[in-house]
Parts: sequence; C-alpha cells; structure tokens
Amino acid sequence: MDAIIQLIHVSKWHDRRAALSDVTFEIEKGEFVLLMGASGAGKSTLLRMLIAEEQPDEGQIFVHGKNVTKLRPSEIPYLRRKVGAVFQDFRLLPKKSVFDNVALPLIVQGASEKDIRRKVTEALRAVDVDHKNDQLPSSLSTGEQQRVCIARSIVNGPVVLLADEPTGNLDPERTREIIELFKLINARGTTVVVATHDPHVLKYVNRRVITLVHGVLLAEHRVGEGVGG
Amino acid sequence: MRRLFYLVREAWVNMRTNRTTTIVAILTTAFALACVGIFLLLYMNLRNAAGSLQEDVKVMVYLEDRRSSEQVRELERTLKTDRMVDGVLFISKEQALGEFRVQFPSESHLLEGLGENPLPASFVVTLAPSFRSPDAMKAWVERVQTMEGVAKVDYNQEWSSLLAGLIGYIELAAIGVGILLSAAAVTIIGNTTRLALLARQEEIEILRSIGATRTFIRIPYFLEGAVLGACGSALSLGILKFAVELFRQQIQLTGRFGGIEGLISFFPLSVCLALVMAGMGLGFAGSVVSLLRVGDGRA
Repeated sequence: MDAIIQLIHVSKWHDRRAALSDVTFEIEKGEFVLLMGASGAGKSTLLRMLIAEEQPDEGQIFVHGKNVTKLRPSEIPYLRRKVGAVFQDFRLLPKKSVFDNVALPLIVQGASEKDIRRKVTEALRAVDVDHKNDQLPSSLSTGEQQRVCIARSIVNGPVVLLADEPTGNLDPERTREIIELFKLINARGTTVVVATHDPHVLKYVNRRVITLVHGVLLAEHRVGEGVGG
Repeated sequence: MRRLFYLVREAWVNMRTNRTTTIVAILTTAFALACVGIFLLLYMNLRNAAGSLQEDVKVMVYLEDRRSSEQVRELERTLKTDRMVDGVLFISKEQALGEFRVQFPSESHLLEGLGENPLPASFVVTLAPSFRSPDAMKAWVERVQTMEGVAKVDYNQEWSSLLAGLIGYIELAAIGVGILLSAAAVTIIGNTTRLALLARQEEIEILRSIGATRTFIRIPYFLEGAVLGACGSALSLGILKFAVELFRQQIQLTGRFGGIEGLISFFPLSVCLALVMAGMGLGFAGSVVSLLRVGDGRA
C-alpha cells in the first residue's frame, strides 16, 4: 500500500521544550489511526504540521506525495483542500447557517452553485443533520455542531481527514456516534487520523493506535473492538 | 458566481458589523478629501479666471513714424504668419488719435498745440492661447522688439506674472495638502481595515484551515477599503458642492463683487467621477497597507 502520510525524524521545540522529538511513522492510504496521548503530548502540534500550520524544526513530512516542509505559502491552501480538519471547538462561523458553514470549502474552491447544493446536502445527510441546514450553529447541540464540523471537513471529498480531540466536548453516547461516523467516512476510502486523550474512544475502534508521550513516539499497536464497536 | 457574491457580501457584512467604525472612517475621509477639494476648487477656478482674463491680453506693437505703407504691410504679414500669433489688428495714427479723443475727451486739447499727430500707428496683437504664459509672452515681445520698424512693444507683464505666480503657489499648496491628506485618508481607512481584521481573526483562521487562499481572504477587505474611500470621496464632493452654492448665494445676497458668482464653478462631472475613483484608489491602498502590515501569519 502507499503511504499517504509520512513523518521522517520530525522534531519541534516550543520554548526550548520538545513538543515532538524525532518522530517517524507512516500512515497508509485508507487507514484509520488513533493518535493517543495526554494533553501536551504533541498530538495537536503533529496535526497542525500535517496541514502546514506549523513547520517542524527538524525532519520531513509528506502528505499525499507533497513535502509539506517545502511547500511555498501559495501552495498551502491547496494542501488544506485535500486534508479535512475537525476541531474540538468545532470552529463554525456563528453568523452563518449550517448550510453556509458546510458550503464554505466549496465556495473557497469556486464550485458551481449546483455542485455546492448537491455536495452540501450529501454531506449533511451523511452526518445526519440535513434537517437543520437553515439553522445557526448556536441553536444546535454540541454533538450536532461537531457533526456540522465533520460535514464541512468532508464536503469537498478530502483524501485525509484529521480530527483533533473531536469528542472532547461530548458525552460517551455522542462520542460513540462521532467515532462511528469517522469509521463510516473511513469505509468510503478517506484516511482518518483521530487525535484524542480519551481512552474511552479505544472501546469503539479496532484500529491502529499511535501513542505519544511528551513528544516521543512511545508505541504502536492495535486495539480490540469494544462493546459499542 | 457564488464566490463573487460571497466576497461582496462579506465586505458588506464587515462594514455593517463595524458600523460605527465605518461611519467614522467615511466622515474623516470625507473631511480630509474635502480639504484637498477646497484647494483643487480654488486652483481650478483661478486657472479658469486666468484663462478668461488672458484671452483679453493684448500686446501693443507701436511702429516707428515715417514708415511706408509697404513696410507696415510687410510687418503685418510677418506678424500674421507667426505661429504664436492669433490675431493682428492695425491701428493707424489717425485711428489712435480718434480713440484718444473718445476715451479722454477732457484731455484732447493737450494734443492740439503739437501740430502733428504725436500718436504712433500700432498693431494690436492677440497671442495664440498656448503662448499666453508669461515666459512665452516675454520671449515673443523680446523678439518682436528687434524687428525693423518697431518702436516699442507694450503688455502688462507684471499682472500676468503675478497671476501665474499665484496659480503656481496654489498648485503647490494643492499638491502638498493633497499628498498629506491623502496619506491621512489611507491611514484612516487602513486602521478601519485593521480593526475589521482583528475583529474577524477567528473567521480568518477558519477560512485558512479550509484552504482559502490569501487573495480570497483579502478581497472583502480590499472591497471594503475601496467602498469606504469612494463613499468618503463622494461625501466630500457633496460637502464642497453645498459650500460652493452657499458661497454663491451669500455673494448674491450681499450684492458685493457683482457678477463674480457667475465665475465660480464646481468640478465638472468627469472630474467628480475621477475624484470618486481616486478616493476608491486611496481606500484600496489603505487596505493593502493594512493587510501588508498585519502580515502573512494572519491573512
């Protein structure tokens, strides 16, 4: 299989403290990977590097065949169009409707009106919030807001989906639903990387787990399917 | 199409969200541009006045006495074929005497004791419009003065130079004030853009994370700057138009400087449009400066 994400001896320092230290691993196309670690382990730093929001101090990062560390600033937006991102705080525009929030990546790319309508409707249906497309994010529950955020991240068919603590604000039931949703997206061929500190997530997945401790890649293993999986 | 609509709508939302800042920016820009406009109006009106007055500027070429009619005709031909000359009118000694008597009837007895008519024949020369500048007139006069048969050349050099000097000063003042206040307008609009940018930092971060290019993020702010500049400029023109009309009315009411109100004119439509475009350009420049200052990391 082809590696869609590749980190080679990546190190990053924040205020003389190693956020990541000599991290090397690969993620194959179509994989579902859990990136585990406590707060401050370097998960978010790693995900930010994958979308070129941060640059490593050492090492190389390849995403979908592109060396992210060597991208020109003008090339970065095009990388981000291939890599969807889901955040713990959802990052939805509060004054735009659910539909408009999800349509944003397509508008940015200059998609036609017809395509926007079709793809947004499909994405909202996939995350089961298509009945709320006219509402503002503030009128939705946290679980629904996270679903809208996921719909926005998949609406333009990214090759990779990165999720940074996507269940951090959710109760166990909503957590399970969101993880199921990621599994569904993964089943359609999108590579999914979920960063979480929540060990309960492990109950719902039988996938590869990469564990970071204080910026060091500690272990890689697979976990057994839990009750809810 | 949707993208264009989105960008225009974002610019509009920016302005509406920061309504107070937007209004203050338009008003202060309008005030700054109105100050520039005062100088431009003054300059334009003085130039117009100078132009219409210069149309009446005549150069008197007095001829030496005892010149044959053939020599006078030769000189007339030379003057008429001169590219700097628009018109030539010959005034004979007899015509000059007649005019003197009409213009100064009480003094006409002064000439009677002299026997021979002492007034010289002359040419009244009107110079072509493009050669009515003080320097061109001076050069022409110096050249004609050396022609055979010419006794003296007269024109009101002082008046002409004074007017040209005054126009020059106003032109300089207009340029100076224009540069200074245009820079102020750029700064005002730049600051408004920066405030809008800071207020929408989170939204910009979201746009960046979903793959919006720097241009896409910046366009609404450029549009906002251009609209603010255009509105400020249009408002300044409104203020100036009102002030000019008020000034005219006051002159008419006081009854002084009779007829001068007809000479005061406002910018023609083409100049008004050009000034609105210039305001738009200044606003755009303000946004560009602001976005460049904020830097790559933000937008």
